[in-house]
Amino acid sequence: MFLLDNQVVRADWRQAKAMVTDLLAKNGAKVLCARRWDERKLAYPIKGRTRGTYLLAYFEIEGPGLNSVRRDFELDERVLRYLLLKVDAIPAGEMEKAAEEGADGYVVPPPPTDEVTSAERAVFGDLADRPIQENLRRNAPADEGDAAEGAEAEVTEAAATEES
Amino acid sequence: MAESRKPSPPIASRHCDDPKIDYKEVAYLQKFLTPQAQILSRKRSGFCTQCQRELKQAIKRARHMGLMAFVQ
Repeated sequence: MFLLDNQVVRADWRQAKAMVTDLLAKNGAKVLCARRWDERKLAYPIKGRTRGTYLLAYFEIEGPGLNSVRRDFELDERVLRYLLLKVDAIPAGEMEKAAEEGADGYVVPPPPTDEVTSAERAVFGDLADRPIQENLRRNAPADEGDAAEGAEAEVTEAAATEES
Repeated sequence: MAESRKPSPPIASRHCDDPKIDYKEVAYLQKFLTPQAQILSRKRSGFCTQCQRELKQAIKRARHMGLMAFVQ
């Protein structure tokens, strides 16, 4: 199971799905079926996201390929979490559901907007409602000056409140 | 002598022949958590050793995928 970033899913579900299946195929896996499992609110924020779309895939792979698959998914920013398990058999009805999604005319429900609560904003600040790419840019060393300025501003504010 | 507290009855009975507990069945797994989202003890869940182990594994998998909370 893979937890995908809703920003990517909102852009194009099929492309997001292909991104995962292509990565698997690249490492020598044979993808048997893949489908959208659900879109839901996360129990706790992951990489600043409060909602995410789950992709459930079944695939066959040789042992040595598994390490490179794990490494690829660790590096991929679009995949928030992944869980690779060994199963005896594909559960009944799984192939049908995957085929149903693959058929023409299947409309993927668009993910709702992330509802960022005030509590989440308190923990993550502006990061809570920014796309991942912007987060990266924000964390880049070039932004250190801004961060220092922000800290200074906070200090002066605190001093002002003490005086008043 | 201090009065011994009556233990609360097990939450659910489960046959070991039932299909394996799955990490995707979040609503079912939620029943075996305390209000603070801790996993119930074997005594309170009423599970046998093998079922309790499956339950533990399923809850931990669900937590990793963000389906269930670590703490409430």
